[in-house]
Amino acid sequence: MKYKLFLYQCIRSREVLLSLVLILVLGLSGIFIGNRHLSERQHAIDEVKDYQKTHFERHVSLHNDDLGLLLYYVKFSFINPVNPLSGLSIGQSDVNPAIKRITIKTFEAQKHDSDLINPMNLHSGNLDFSFVLIYLMPLLVIVFAFNVVSEETETGTWRLVSIQTRSKLGFVITKLSVRLLLMVIVLVLLFSTAKVVLNVPFSTNLMLLFAMAFLYVVFWFALAFFVVCFKKPSGFNALLLLSVWLVMLILWPAGINAFMAFKYPVPEALNTAIAQRDGYHTKWDTEKLPTIQKFYDHYPQFKEYGYRTEGFNWLWYYAMQQMGDDDSQKERASLTAKIKLREERSREMASWIPNMHMQLAFNRVAGTSLDQHIDFLNSTEAFHEKLRLFFYPKIFEEQKAESIDWNQFEPEYFETSSETKPIFLLTPLLLAIVFALLISIPKARKL
Amino acid sequence: MKFANVRLLALHFIRNAVQPKSFYLIYLLFVLLTVYATVSGIQNHVVQNDIRKSYQVKARHSWEANPDKHPHRMAHFGTFAFRIGSPLGMFDYGLESFTGSTVFLEAHRQNSVNFSDASFSTGTLRFGELSMALLAQLVLPLILIFIGFSSIAADRQNGTLKILISQGANWLEILFGRSIGLFILALLFVLPVILATLIALLLYGNTLTSNGLWWRFALIVLGYILFLFVVAVTTILVSAQSKAPKNALLRLLGIWLLMVVLLPKSAQTLGSYWYPKPTKLAFQSAIEKEEIQKGDSHNPDDPYYKKLRDSVLAVHQVDEVTDLPFNYGGFVMREGEKISSTLYRKHHADLLKTYQDQNNMSRYMALLNPYMAIKQLSMSLSGTDFSSYIDFQEQADDYRYELSQKMNELQMQYISPKKKSGSEGKTHVVDHEHWSAFPDFVHRAVPLKKSIAEAALAFISIGLWGFLSFGLLLLTAKKASAL
Repeated sequence: MKYKLFLYQCIRSREVLLSLVLILVLGLSGIFIGNRHLSERQHAIDEVKDYQKTHFERHVSLHNDDLGLLLYYVKFSFINPVNPLSGLSIGQSDVNPAIKRITIKTFEAQKHDSDLINPMNLHSGNLDFSFVLIYLMPLLVIVFAFNVVSEETETGTWRLVSIQTRSKLGFVITKLSVRLLLMVIVLVLLFSTAKVVLNVPFSTNLMLLFAMAFLYVVFWFALAFFVVCFKKPSGFNALLLLSVWLVMLILWPAGINAFMAFKYPVPEALNTAIAQRDGYHTKWDTEKLPTIQKFYDHYPQFKEYGYRTEGFNWLWYYAMQQMGDDDSQKERASLTAKIKLREERSREMASWIPNMHMQLAFNRVAGTSLDQHIDFLNSTEAFHEKLRLFFYPKIFEEQKAESIDWNQFEPEYFETSSETKPIFLLTPLLLAIVFALLISIPKARKL
Repeated sequence: MKFANVRLLALHFIRNAVQPKSFYLIYLLFVLLTVYATVSGIQNHVVQNDIRKSYQVKARHSWEANPDKHPHRMAHFGTFAFRIGSPLGMFDYGLESFTGSTVFLEAHRQNSVNFSDASFSTGTLRFGELSMALLAQLVLPLILIFIGFSSIAADRQNGTLKILISQGANWLEILFGRSIGLFILALLFVLPVILATLIALLLYGNTLTSNGLWWRFALIVLGYILFLFVVAVTTILVSAQSKAPKNALLRLLGIWLLMVVLLPKSAQTLGSYWYPKPTKLAFQSAIEKEEIQKGDSHNPDDPYYKKLRDSVLAVHQVDEVTDLPFNYGGFVMREGEKISSTLYRKHHADLLKTYQDQNNMSRYMALLNPYMAIKQLSMSLSGTDFSSYIDFQEQADDYRYELSQKMNELQMQYISPKKKSGSEGKTHVVDHEHWSAFPDFVHRAVPLKKSIAEAALAFISIGLWGFLSFGLLLLTAKKASAL
């Protein structure tokens, strides 16, 4: 009975109803946008599958007698498959390509090739579900909670409440929990819609996302609780909570990003680009023997193909290409280290700020984080190595292209690992909640 | 309307606003944020440009260090173009973090511009970056809302509005007075941002062959002043039409959220929904297909190249390509480069058209949304917008084309016609002095005219909003009541 009245009191307000409807509509459009993102990516993957077959056929018919030349041209596809959860949190998957089409030449020269991208789209960001959750849900919590005490004091019912209830604190908490319940219903509605629309299998990952969303909402309720306990006027509460929102959602992250940009630039990327270019191209001017020697140092199993140094030959050519990768190893290692450093720093800083942590954790579970993309690139490299090892002897033996079964080269798929210990994802949120509750205690006792 | 009254009301408003200590706290915070944004803006600009410039030099050294060799080898050795950030990027990062910085330029291939900051960043980058522009266009309006929301609504609620009017002030004077008061406070806030930008430009503004830098700066300042005027008037008007301060605050925040967060995102999303871009594969294979139709230089029996050879032989009245007065291989590659570049540019123009269509949604939305207008104006004039990036891409591709063709011409001229194919070895080579004779890539700043043309619509929008605010002030003054 009491709860029913509280619920009625809460949704009686026009602002509350309006914002409830707004958040549902935006949440649904976020899911819809995520769905479109998924279908675009699936379309791109299907396209690659169809293309690869005709691509092979054309080049095999043109260069049947010259396998070395054929492999100069043909590209093999390695694909980061569509994960339905990425529809919930598009993350970095709009900037990082999910399909790599590579030749067996220098890998480093192909590793960082970017997709076709409209930078304006990246700049404005995706209105996906994670955005609605991270940016807008807190605003809804603020609208729900900013006046739970002050509306009583301002209409004069607070005195009545203090006489009629056993515990004023209990009264405030009940009022807040009714609102929390309402929010949970919204979350359940949105998550179930997402599950159906995006075709997400029922998994621990989905549950994990829901748990994080729930904790995030609870965190904002706890903050609101801290503020309303001061029993200040409604206007003041609204202002204060919105300022907190502004600082947490915009100023802090923006400040940290500006800091990261100048503190950890990535000159290593440019250095690597030049090193791999020089690693390969300068070999055209040096003696062939040392290049081939170095190649055999890397792959002693091919020594039997001898040291052909007269004129142009493919053994020497691919040995040179190999040097693009081998001679830029130092630079490549420092690039990898820098990216890792940036990733770690970013994650560390984010773990102190719940909304930033949420974004990273969501991306992580959805498979759209930076480190998962790096994993994908590393797997692409392994795929590339496999191709090299398969084709090198065939090129050196000057086999005919038709002697190879080209149908075996279907596009291959990367297996994303979105395995993360839930404790790493949930702990920062739990700690934030505990912190918000702890600082509320002094005022809450004197309600 | 008496000017003396307007002045009195404006001064009164300012005095009231600066009375509470919290005002100074907010001001101090804003100044501190400005300092932080300035320092990080300068740092970022200087560090990034130093890196890129030093690698441009390094890449050039590497190019010039090549010994005598076959020009086609040089065409593939290629070089790099590094995008230099524009000086006003210190003020407004714009798309800086989302556009690549480096492109490898070689024969036959238009490589992608790689290594954007975003590609090495975690998802937190999407929260935005703290720049001076962000403070002035996103944070400052919120501060103005906080200062001004109660200006008239509170007077109405506690009855002073009635007294004010009965004492002889009319609505027009009240609205103008308060708007001007709030606008002056806005100028007080934006002043440190302008000064900081000025200092940054004076100290570090000479990075790119500066292109109307001070014109850009002046127009940006003008744009922001107009924008803040619109914000100040809107705040006062909403306050005048609200029964209680709380209502005014909620309405104003709703407007802020809509204008600053929801509309910009939705506009861009809708744009890319209506004008889907092709996948990279579809883009590349469309070019490949047309190339093959035109003439396949990889195919020794291709009819187009066969015809070309026969006609060249006929003109020079010889039977074999080895008897021509120039190296035929270089000639074929020059033709191939011409064909493939023309095709690429055609398709790339189509792609850019699609991007433009996507972005137009935001451009036109700026007519309805002054925040989006100031954002575009600021980016375009700062040289960190979409068109500046495309300008770089085009400069790089022009250079790439010239480099390839120069190498093909060297091959035609200096490599023996008897050398039919292949570029290996030390016998058929060109003197290495030709390498340093070919000038290095220099990234020129986007022309001022182009930036102004880009910003024109946004300027018109803000100008119209300025007029509209005046009109609404007059209209509200007629209709408003003190109750």
